Amino acid sequence: LASAASVVLCMDVGLTMSNSAPGEESSFELAKKVIQKFVQRQVFSETKIELALVLFGTDSTDNPLSQDGQYQNIRVHRHLMIPDCELLIEIENQVQPESQQGDCILSPEHVSLIPCRNLTLQAEGKKYDCLNIALLTDLNTQTNEESLEVIIKNLTQSGITVQFFLPFPVEEDKEGKGLSREQKKNKELVKEMMLSLDVEDGLDEIHTFRNAIEELCMFKRVERRPVAWPCQLTIGSSLSIRIVGYKAVTDEKLKKMWITVDAQSHQKDDVKRETVYCLDDDNETEVQKDDIIQGFRYGSDIVPFSKVDQEQMKYKHDGKCFAVLGFTKQSTIRRNQFMGSQIIKIFAARDDEHAGVALSALIRALNELQMVAIVRYAFNRISNPQVGAAFPCIKQDSECLMYIQLPFMEDLRQFTFPSLENKKFTPSDAQLSAVDSLIDSMMLVEEDENGEQRDLFKPHRIPNPAFQRHFQCLHHRAVSPGTPLPPIEPWLKAALDRPEVITERCQDPLDVLKRKFPLTEVEKKKKLKTSAQIFGKESEESEAKKVKEDEAEEYNLADIAEGSVTSVRIRGRAGRLNNPRRWARFCQQLTHRIEQLLSNKNTQYYMKSITCIQAFREQSVKLGNAEHYIATFKVFWELLVQDEVEGSSVSKAEANQFLVAEEKKEEAAPAPVEDTGDVDDL
Amino acid sequence: MAEWNAYYQNEDEEGEQEEGEQSGGDYKITGRDSLVFLVDASKEMFIKGEDGEPSNFDMTMQVVRTVYTSKIISSDRDLVALVFYGTEQSKNPRNSFKHVYVYHDLNEPGAKRVQEVDALRGEKGAKLAAETIGSGETSLGDALWCCANLYSDIKLRLSHKRLMIFTCRDEPHGGDSVKDRQARTKASDLKETGVVIDLMHLMKPGGFNISLFFCDIVSPPEDESEMGLQLQPSDKLEDLQKRVRAKELKKRTLARLNLCLGEGINVAVGIYATAVAARKPGSIKLYRETNEPVRSKTRTFHTQTGSLLLPSEIKKAQYYGGKEIVMERDEVDAIKKFDDPGLFLIGFKPMEKLKLLHHIRPAVFLYPEEDEVKGSSCLFSALLKKCSERNVFALCRFISRRNYPPRFVALLPQNEELGEGKVQITPPGFNVIYLPFADDLRTLDPPQFPSASQTQVDKMKEIVSKLRFKYRSEGFENPVIQQHFRNLEALALDMMAPEEIEDLIMPKVDQIDQRLGPLVQEFKDLVYPAYYNPESKPPAKRKTADTGGGAEKKPKVELTEDELKAHVQNGTLAKLTVPVLKDACKQFGVRTTGTKKQELIDALIARLGS
Repeated sequence: LASAASVVLCMDVGLTMSNSAPGEESSFELAKKVIQKFVQRQVFSETKIELALVLFGTDSTDNPLSQDGQYQNIRVHRHLMIPDCELLIEIENQVQPESQQGDCILSPEHVSLIPCRNLTLQAEGKKYDCLNIALLTDLNTQTNEESLEVIIKNLTQSGITVQFFLPFPVEEDKEGKGLSREQKKNKELVKEMMLSLDVEDGLDEIHTFRNAIEELCMFKRVERRPVAWPCQLTIGSSLSIRIVGYKAVTDEKLKKMWITVDAQSHQKDDVKRETVYCLDDDNETEVQKDDIIQGFRYGSDIVPFSKVDQEQMKYKHDGKCFAVLGFTKQSTIRRNQFMGSQIIKIFAARDDEHAGVALSALIRALNELQMVAIVRYAFNRISNPQVGAAFPCIKQDSECLMYIQLPFMEDLRQFTFPSLENKKFTPSDAQLSAVDSLIDSMMLVEEDENGEQRDLFKPHRIPNPAFQRHFQCLHHRAVSPGTPLPPIEPWLKAALDRPEVITERCQDPLDVLKRKFPLTEVEKKKKLKTSAQIFGKESEESEAKKVKEDEAEEYNLADIAEGSVTSVRIRGRAGRLNNPRRWARFCQQLTHRIEQLLSNKNTQYYMKSITCIQAFREQSVKLGNAEHYIATFKVFWELLVQDEVEGSSVSKAEANQFLVAEEKKEEAAPAPVEDTGDVDDL
Repeated sequence: MAEWNAYYQNEDEEGEQEEGEQSGGDYKITGRDSLVFLVDASKEMFIKGEDGEPSNFDMTMQVVRTVYTSKIISSDRDLVALVFYGTEQSKNPRNSFKHVYVYHDLNEPGAKRVQEVDALRGEKGAKLAAETIGSGETSLGDALWCCANLYSDIKLRLSHKRLMIFTCRDEPHGGDSVKDRQARTKASDLKETGVVIDLMHLMKPGGFNISLFFCDIVSPPEDESEMGLQLQPSDKLEDLQKRVRAKELKKRTLARLNLCLGEGINVAVGIYATAVAARKPGSIKLYRETNEPVRSKTRTFHTQTGSLLLPSEIKKAQYYGGKEIVMERDEVDAIKKFDDPGLFLIGFKPMEKLKLLHHIRPAVFLYPEEDEVKGSSCLFSALLKKCSERNVFALCRFISRRNYPPRFVALLPQNEELGEGKVQITPPGFNVIYLPFADDLRTLDPPQFPSASQTQVDKMKEIVSKLRFKYRSEGFENPVIQQHFRNLEALALDMMAPEEIEDLIMPKVDQIDQRLGPLVQEFKDLVYPAYYNPESKPPAKRKTADTGGGAEKKPKVELTEDELKAHVQNGTLAKLTVPVLKDACKQFGVRTTGTKKQELIDALIARLGS
């Protein structure tokens, strides 16, 4: 579907659309998919294209032209407006196969007229640069040949373009069988009409459902209008060339962020995030925001350095520039030292032929010498200046410089790695030849019979799968809330995988490789441990070891992002926890984690939290500081009592009683207690 | 509180940070470096050079200061100490050694220490030194013993221990063999505990003879073939004085994962960032009254009830097509998950298939991890060798972290290169180049121009050749960061003004002009007509009908409430321009925090939609 300022989708929902060969999807289902995909694209790319949806072959009639028995069985489902989620939902739920068949007056071609008129009425006062009508039908209707001319005339006059989506291709001798008499006749009519319309190649605007779905599957790539950056390329003080830069490649991100909403009301206004500052003392005295200044670490000192001073003293420059520092061999620029996240193409200023010639001279000179310009680039006064390389780039129809940022001294990390020229690792000849044949079998670029290169896998043609998946899930959630998210679409999975030809071809070489290169996973001490294990082990560790590990600063509680916690990992070191503040902090985290675990309402998580609590308890006992433990335990207990847990047999009274008992026990020298037993019974 | 806060803070801004690199944990594995300056304080050290050259002591203090200030910026958690020997006064932890003066014990350097070293410089400094430490008897053995105690008093894990002796006396004990022997014993004790002893022998009339005594004290050079001691003292000093204002970073993996070639063929690899845009170090929030650092606590609570919200009471939403689409927090993560982290080989391509354009973020580096999967290095090495030989790169699907969507990457073979003295210039391994997806490439409409003639090109070639230089990636400092460090230094050390920086990425216009001479004019005569001035404003754009005259200032459109409501209802707000929307917001008293179009639209809908 061509993008136009507005599109009218006309879908045939009549009787024959539901016909299908066994095991195949019906025309109706395919057509509906085409429409869904198309609307999904429009909604999530937030284009300003307006859409209307007209159904024909409907049981009921609802359209402004339905007078005197004309234009029957046509329902204008949605007038021209910007598509929204509502439309997606309606398509999902309300567009169903219906049982009418358009009568003889109602040829699909006729239908195309309705929205035009209809819309010209509605669109009064609005200007449409372009109106496009997309017809999805199986052409199984009786048509009136005489009307064709009128239609063509009408369409040409109003500047409306038409596209057809059919279940079968219109080319001769292809799947000609199995079509009804009407379909055959109408096929010819459609062809005739499309050819007579004033379009370059009318037949290109006739698509099959399947092709359309394939094409539409890919969510439209994120498109940004290129923004020109006019500047002057300077060499020394007196040679300058007027240029304009455009971002050509950049790490594109999704436009929208997730906002936080309240789980119940789904309102973002119900949730507020607040940051408070407090002194690092025992009372955690709160400090007002206005009483906060900024400072920077200078060795062991912190130097107060206010924002105002910083602004005044900071590096300042003259702003926008693209100045040549010198020229160097292309080979001295290492590919792995490209910095930044973009490539800027530099052209001569538009409409300035002299600049064009001057820049062309530079580009060609660099190209012939295999050199690049090293330039100082500053986007504007506020942005930090960069150093970068401008590569010559000559294509058949255009010449430009490609600017890529290069590193500063501060950015480089000169790491050294042990040499691989080590007897232990040197591969044998047999091993090398195994790798050789693997490479042979897995070459993605090959020449076909005509000597033309064929690339089997082009990542830059694949849409970003993260975006595709994101919108697939959003669509799903919008249309069918309350159901789990769908799996990744098969086409996307396939697009990210090794091409099938390669998979087949590399099977044998891979087997050889596997035999030639023994790979054994080194047994590691289990990385994930339960808190209980850790606490048990840690306490036995020697003093010396603790000192060594002194630098480990974080207590890392395993996150549950995936919702599949297999164990709770606490890397707090017993030695460090002796410090009361650290211990408090640790307790806070642990409590929080337990709450999280509990909120998942799943037995597995309860078990985790119990392990946590047990470990917590033991540690509290060891440190003789049970205050936090009791506080946490209260929370935990309250949760149980609140009936949050189904089947909890604990009554409020019991709970309170328990708490009192627990506190008493903790005050006395605590010994392993029965509380865990109670909890385990859950 | 790191984890506690991160839990809330990262949710909206993930992906933007450097992948996987946690800050603050630099020293977790490696421990800290330590350096002790052991400086001779004998009378000889204070003798000034002939032409008013600074004394050896003065020079030494200058070096110490430079090292201090360098360390503060490059690795402020390294420990440094300054100890004088041959002093009159004694000052050491247990005061058990005579004539040893611990000026600074092993600790992180800070502004105060720099100032204290400053105080010992110059004429005044010499005077102060004479007053506070004085010159007296020498026992290097005691001095070394004292230093050994400094090391043993440190409870932190030290990765590298170095001791530097600054002296101009090649016979410190004047031939006292007992003291000589004692010093040798103590030196070997120190060396046994992993301390590297280095000698900075300073100028001495008649030359410094190392073989008299010090050859037995210092650690043997790593390379047996050449005696490191023969090095000119001045070279080493110069090296020490070189100021480097850049944060030193320890080699750490971003991730350890598998490079999967096929079913069951997993090579363990580590991923390293070798070039990361350095930023100014982050600021610390301080309490105005006391200048003490404050901690921040972020809480999420319910606006109406005021109660703290548990993560389970929060969901995530996006607004599209007039509808709030809500997901669970874990669903938001799940959406991004395609597979477990790892590299999966898709196939190989000839090197020329990798275009310059294929760049969306800095490359990372791949090196085998033999410790994880035995045999990794061998297969990795074979792969590297063959890819390099055949000039192909490996195309892989790459998931760098848990719940990260995939990217395609090109693994470019890089052979090990050694420079002078067998120093590794480039390490062996694969460079990982991130490849763009279709979304990352923008469609441009390049302007068409006639190409330059060969004469014009040739003239430019002359210009290019005149301005040739050898590019070195480490040759350019970031002026923004350099200025920041100098500012900080000036403030910390109460300097009048920060040190001047040299902006290395500023074109040296005078030099360029001089080198090019008449070439510029010749070139301009070839390409520009006489009346043309590239520096003047471009001629006013002809307003053609089809461009719609974008530059034209449109008269201000005021919307009536009804019109606006109609827009809200029809979902056509997006058709209005940002200024119009802003005006509308103002007009209807809608307060917005953002200035982005979508934010304005959302705000208006929220106000007028219901």
